[in-house]
Amino acid sequence: MTETSTAERHSQRRDEPHEGARPGDDAAGSERTASAIHMQGLHKRFGASTVALDGVDLTIEAGEFFTLLGPSGCGKTTLLRILAGLEEADQGRLTIGERDVTEVAPHHRSVNTVFQSYALFPHLSVRDNLAFGLKMRGVDRAEREARVQRIAEFIQLGDLIDRRIDQLSGGQRQRIALARALVCEPDVLLLDEPLSALDAGLRSQLQVELLRVQKRLGMTFVFVTHDQDEAMVMSDRIAVLNGGTIQQVGPPREVYERPVNAFVARFMGHANLYPISARQGLRVTTELGELELEPDLATTEQGSGELLLIRPETLDVRLGRHEGVNHLIGRITERLYRGSHAEFRLTVGDTTLQATINNRGRRLPEVGDEVTLVVAPEDLVTVAN
Amino acid sequence: MTDTAVLGRSQGMVREARHLLFTVSPGAAWIIVFLVLPSAYLMGVAFMTNGPYGLPQMPLSLDSFKQLAGFGFLGWSPGNLYTLLRSLWQTLVATGLVVIVAYPIAYYITTCRAKWRPIMLLLVVVPSWTNQVIRTFGWMNLLAPGTPLSSVAETLGLIAPNMGLYPSNFAVTLGLVYNFLPFMVLPLYAAFEKLDTAQVEAAQDLYATPVKAFWHAVFPQTLPGLLAGIVLVAIPAFGMYVIPELLGGGKALMLGNLVANQFSGGSNWPLGAAGAILMLLATFAGLYAMRRIGKRLGGGEEVVI
Amino acid sequence: MRKRTLKRGLTAFWWLTLVFLYLPLAVVVLFSFNAANSAASMTGLSLRWYHQLFANDQIMSAFGNTLVLALTSSLIALVIGCLIGYGMYRHRHRKLGWLIVLIYLPIVLPDIVFGISEMAFFVKIHELTGLLGPGLGTMIIAHVTFQIPFVALIVYSRFVGLDPSLFEAAKDLYASPLKRVVHFMLPTIKPALISAFFLSFTLSVDDFVISFFTSGPESATLPIYIWGAIKKGVSPEINAIATLMIAAVALAALASLVVNRRKA
Repeated sequence: MTETSTAERHSQRRDEPHEGARPGDDAAGSERTASAIHMQGLHKRFGASTVALDGVDLTIEAGEFFTLLGPSGCGKTTLLRILAGLEEADQGRLTIGERDVTEVAPHHRSVNTVFQSYALFPHLSVRDNLAFGLKMRGVDRAEREARVQRIAEFIQLGDLIDRRIDQLSGGQRQRIALARALVCEPDVLLLDEPLSALDAGLRSQLQVELLRVQKRLGMTFVFVTHDQDEAMVMSDRIAVLNGGTIQQVGPPREVYERPVNAFVARFMGHANLYPISARQGLRVTTELGELELEPDLATTEQGSGELLLIRPETLDVRLGRHEGVNHLIGRITERLYRGSHAEFRLTVGDTTLQATINNRGRRLPEVGDEVTLVVAPEDLVTVAN
Repeated sequence: MTDTAVLGRSQGMVREARHLLFTVSPGAAWIIVFLVLPSAYLMGVAFMTNGPYGLPQMPLSLDSFKQLAGFGFLGWSPGNLYTLLRSLWQTLVATGLVVIVAYPIAYYITTCRAKWRPIMLLLVVVPSWTNQVIRTFGWMNLLAPGTPLSSVAETLGLIAPNMGLYPSNFAVTLGLVYNFLPFMVLPLYAAFEKLDTAQVEAAQDLYATPVKAFWHAVFPQTLPGLLAGIVLVAIPAFGMYVIPELLGGGKALMLGNLVANQFSGGSNWPLGAAGAILMLLATFAGLYAMRRIGKRLGGGEEVVI
Repeated sequence: MRKRTLKRGLTAFWWLTLVFLYLPLAVVVLFSFNAANSAASMTGLSLRWYHQLFANDQIMSAFGNTLVLALTSSLIALVIGCLIGYGMYRHRHRKLGWLIVLIYLPIVLPDIVFGISEMAFFVKIHELTGLLGPGLGTMIIAHVTFQIPFVALIVYSRFVGLDPSLFEAAKDLYASPLKRVVHFMLPTIKPALISAFFLSFTLSVDDFVISFFTSGPESATLPIYIWGAIKKGVSPEINAIATLMIAAVALAALASLVVNRRKA
């Protein structure tokens, strides 16, 4: 587990799309302060044998869009439910802002959740759903109505406010669920795969909307998803979980391009991974042959269990035989044309690998063609097994 | 795990257990005190001796079971045995007839337009919402001597002159069929509604004749509903009291009447209790058998009502 | 061609069955307006049986007993059954087989066994303690016993049909346990509570056997009164009470139809 210092983490933000726009700075007219979350040694077990969380230490910065990413059963939902107070950790501490909330009941925490199924109350209108949290908190009627009206306009659903829940479309329900949580102005907003029930088009539209809302309010968002594309689009930082432990924490580019281990490498996208059989300085030997690494990446760990990672899109595919550093000769066995790009399956000797090239109208190699694969030393990464 | 964690978890468990106790115990206690205990007491009564005024007293004995089997002061008589056999026979015949009527009705409802179906089901069920005594009384009016139905039966030579269709075994069967028809239509309708028509089409494709298609594709799919219906009809029919009492006119008694008469007449509680035990055994045996058959046929959960 | 014959046959059978189902009720209604004191022939129309009905104190008190019994028992069963239904839902992951058996027991037990068990038990308790003498009290106890399972199962199935996250959403939105009951659970299961109440009420009015064995000298309900009248020799008044009860059921059926329509 790599837990880098805060300073380092911020220096790695260089490639973020929101460069310079620290969340909270441009939170239109909002003077609220977002809260940071600290988790320390969280353990959770279900029954005697199922370990959901096996010692999680994590700090989520105030105002951050933070994503918990992992396959089903990795513990991401359990972690989110512990943050919400819907599940109690067996062990460990949890603080939100300055307050230790480890044993605080959910209705006493300033945390709200957008549920995967939206969980809108079927017996209430949109308006009463939005007002529910405020009413439970004892906010008086006049202020309640004003805040409900404001939030409904904020999410541009003011005209639906008197509808029944069963009269809403999926996308509308999703927005109402978001608004119902936001209207309470919690310190932290938790989102449990909130977009997974929507179709692809609506989903990407709402991704953008969600991101805008978060930037405007400067609220701390903790987002759970199993979809690595969604995680990369949305997040300031991602924590990749597997088997109840955190594998890696970092900004999207770092997690995708510099994964710490084979699991993260595979989970974030297609990965050509090869065991390193020998290593001499910057030269590594794998079943593909000898390849040269970039000087920076000659990591300190030189154990035998290491793997070489080549992402498919870092490979340049040239027709014919060419000679040079990190040049591999292979043959195309399969081609999948996908419009904007094409995927190739190739064999180099007895080894198979996958390559992706952008489609720029040039001639694409055919199945059976002999090609040269070129990979730049800086695109090669070694990862732990 | 630290001590505090263990503590926290056991506190949670205590809280959950208290919640379970709070929600479930009033109802559970009610049923235990007012049904399980009384039934247990009744079973105890069956093993006691009949005292004066028909009330049970010590010592314990098996007299009541002997009486139930027909051994009385005057030696063995077949009366009780006849009653028992009549109960079984009536239950079998009535259940069979109910199936024969309900099956096409349930199917017919599913073939009608969706908006009519709830109304049609309601039409089938509504008569059973009226009191059993009233419904039976209606049949008494219809079947009494001198009514048009009785006259028709008389002219056809089905019954002796001036006898009327009631009271008779036939009237009891009719009353049972009438009473239990809705209980068979509802589960069968549910089964038909879920029917996988692709299977029927595949069967028509493979077996060609409608009869075979029905037997291989339709019937097995409706079996869970049929079994559920049989449980709902046969078990209460076996213990029926009102219908034989009113439509049988004392000539067509069933087990329910035998049992009830030992209590209402105050004649012999232990004997009545022994009859009740028999009825309970039959009930549980019936439920168990249906469950077994249902499971074997892969009906699974639906059969378990 | 063959299909059409089948469909025609089925349609005819359907109407025949409806006649079968409604004929006995129709006869009761018809004879309630009979001018003659006969169950076999109609001589003319009259309302005399209805006049006699309202002048008959026994019938009026039986009517009152029926209402009190049905209302009281349904309300008690609603509270107890609702709690047990929620308990079954909330703890559905535990092993509650014993509870399921207990809940199904009143449903599967033959009426007659149910009735005489309670009667024998109440008599014994009365003998020992002087409590639970036969009357409306014992009838209410017996009715609640068979109503609880129906309420519990209706409430339970309503809860099972809900999205489990709703319970968490209520917690998440600052509702304390009490507020969750008042502002979330009760309003959400309101339709189930209403239909459970009506079912309990109907079951109570519909019951004869269990009432018969648990009733006392002063607590005859309408079905018990009718039973007695039939046994004593048919009095045409019975047709009139029965007709009123049939009318009540018909109204209930219409109401349920309207409610269903509005839902759809």
